[in-house]
Amino acid sequence: MSPTVRHQLTRRKPLRLASPHEGPDLKRSFGTFQLMMFGVGATVGTGIFFVLQEAVPDSGPAVIVSFLVAGLGAGLSALCYAELASAIPVSGSTYSYAYHALGELVAMVIAACVLLEYGVSSAAVAVGWSGYFNELLENVLGWHLPDALSYSPIPYEENTTGILNLPAVVLVLMCMVLLIRGASESARVNTIMVLIKLGVLMMFVVIGFTAWSSDHFGGFWDKGAAGISAAAGTIFFSFIGLDAVSTAGEEVRDPQKALPRAIMGALGVVITVYVLVAVAGLSAQPAEEFGSAEQQDAGLSVILKNITGSEVAPTILAAGAVVSIFSVTLVTLYGQTRILFAMGRDGMLPERFSSVNPRTLTPTFNTVVVAIVVACIGGLVPADYLWDTVSIGTLVAFIVVAVGVVVLRRTQPGLERPFRVPLFPLTPLLTVGVCLYILSGLAAVTWLIFGAWLVVVLAFYLVWGRRHAALERSGGPELPAGRVR
Amino acid sequence: MTVLVGHPPRRADRAAISLGAMLARSLDTDLVVVSVLPAPWPTAVAGHGDRDHAEWLRSEGAAAVAEAESVLREVAADLPTRALSVVGRSVPTALLEQARAVGARVLAVGSSPDGPWDRVVLGSSASRLLHSAHLPVAVAPRGFATHAVPRFDRVTCAFQGDERSPEVLRRTAEVAVAGGALLRIVTFAVRGRTMFPPEVRGEEEVLDAFVEQARAAQQVAVSALGTGSEEHRDGALAGSVECLVPVGRDWSQSVAAVDWHHGDVLVLGSSPGGVLSRVFLGSHATRILRHAPVPVVVFPA
Repeated sequence: MSPTVRHQLTRRKPLRLASPHEGPDLKRSFGTFQLMMFGVGATVGTGIFFVLQEAVPDSGPAVIVSFLVAGLGAGLSALCYAELASAIPVSGSTYSYAYHALGELVAMVIAACVLLEYGVSSAAVAVGWSGYFNELLENVLGWHLPDALSYSPIPYEENTTGILNLPAVVLVLMCMVLLIRGASESARVNTIMVLIKLGVLMMFVVIGFTAWSSDHFGGFWDKGAAGISAAAGTIFFSFIGLDAVSTAGEEVRDPQKALPRAIMGALGVVITVYVLVAVAGLSAQPAEEFGSAEQQDAGLSVILKNITGSEVAPTILAAGAVVSIFSVTLVTLYGQTRILFAMGRDGMLPERFSSVNPRTLTPTFNTVVVAIVVACIGGLVPADYLWDTVSIGTLVAFIVVAVGVVVLRRTQPGLERPFRVPLFPLTPLLTVGVCLYILSGLAAVTWLIFGAWLVVVLAFYLVWGRRHAALERSGGPELPAGRVR
Repeated sequence: MTVLVGHPPRRADRAAISLGAMLARSLDTDLVVVSVLPAPWPTAVAGHGDRDHAEWLRSEGAAAVAEAESVLREVAADLPTRALSVVGRSVPTALLEQARAVGARVLAVGSSPDGPWDRVVLGSSASRLLHSAHLPVAVAPRGFATHAVPRFDRVTCAFQGDERSPEVLRRTAEVAVAGGALLRIVTFAVRGRTMFPPEVRGEEEVLDAFVEQARAAQQVAVSALGTGSEEHRDGALAGSVECLVPVGRDWSQSVAAVDWHHGDVLVLGSSPGGVLSRVFLGSHATRILRHAPVPVVVFPA
């Protein structure tokens, strides 16, 4: 007897299939501080190098408030995420949690969101990298790639257009090679990257403050609440990565205390850095200048050049950005391949996505497909379209997670939860509220793109995935098709 | 079909000869030990120095042969054996020439002295042999001795699971049948190196998938083996093939996760090396080889 459509849409992957990995012990025990620094490392650098130029024109000096709002949303979401991650001990992302907790249809919606979060953000970050790379070339060699090879062909407002954003494409392909080889970023390299990022941002702050002018903060509230929420939507993107802390829930000593402290601590550091950068930038130049054409590519670097009049500080900043953004692209691209891998394992995507190449021991096919798609997006679409798309995907995913926490507390109250959200019904509800507020600021075209993408993914699911799901093949969720080891 | 052993002169290393004796006994054939000495420069008229060199070659060759024969008396008294010395400009080339001349079936060499005991360590000659041999090359772990186990009783095939693996398995099975030994298939699985520190999971999924994939590939290969030829079915293989997928954080853990005993031989295939079908070790093969505590036989592509 074949299952009904309703059954298919709501079936959940049984939790006992999610038994923890039984291989060799790969875990380490983690303290609050280490976890916090891990969160800072994963978060800082994704957006702050580019986001001021997008957000300040929307909100004016009140961009500082937007940073706080976006940070609040990200922090609350991370708490909800942490509970779900600790209750459902599976590796993977929001997608896996949703499949276990909320059923197949919701999992596909989440998958669509998370693909935007990781895939499009890889492309967006690569585009941002391209700007700083060109700036670095210009400062060091006095030469930069021609516009035709450093801008995408699709116009955005009156920005420069070209044929292809070559540096972005090359960056993504380099990351692909590393991923296929099996690149490792050791904890030490990660720490160095974080220090480089924080170092160049602090340099920006210090130099920015030397050009302090309180006049630039005049008309603080002029753009109003709409401006603040619009900017928060764009800025939200720069807090992605904080959820990485949540997934480490199982390995933390005393998660009930350590996790919220680590998340809040990491958030505190990140918000402080971001707000300092925003204040320094705003104090150094009037808000209108953030939207100017010369600042579109390597914004922070150009501001430094305007302040100091020399090439030294901007070159250091551009170099730091080029090095550290590279590692961010690598990590987001990696996250993307592993989500598709999990989907392939569940039968939601063709099996090739979860096949491991015996020579490299990595999912090679998967990685190549992801890299080609991301390279196309990064090479052809201007970043301005990308930031908001990433934010909308992430926000919707976070809302679903918050709802999932509430639903799971009702449907499976007995489930063991090493970490429970503090102030229970309030925190998830507040998360949904803040996320909805930020979402309300996003442009109509972003919603349109998001809706279209959702339709594409769900159509694929209804036509193909629904019938090929691993649960379908095993004859329903009751079959113990667990991993044999 | 002789077993040829490369024995470096004046190096009191019995491992290679011991391995050669074990292989020859199991495969029921004879054993030839070859020591390679440096060839003189070609000169039109032999001068004083050249005559000195020729004299040195004679005495050194005789000493090497005597040394090999004394080892042979100890470890291979029951076998038809022969020891000789040849001159050559390069040890690997000279050994391969001799292998062709005597029609050797396998060439056995020892490990480099610069390595841990009980591990296979490739010296420059062994490394060169593995990359250019037309016949299987067996490398003995350092300090290998076979007094306790005269024959190999189990052959382990390192089965990578790619398109060439069934061929390697087929040839391993032939060796197992010829030696009357058990066959075992092992795919070494290693957790991929990742972006994130291990606190953030994600790579276990990939490892799990690879383990499943490897198990399936092993099953397919084994059943193909069973139906492939009559010779295998009535050999030692019927129903006794053991399949393993050991998992480790790195190659040394993965290799150590398998149980090894004195009668084991590990067989590796090397990656196809272009038109000459020479041995080019894949990166996995070199890593497995480095951690192997038993003799390793590498088949040319």
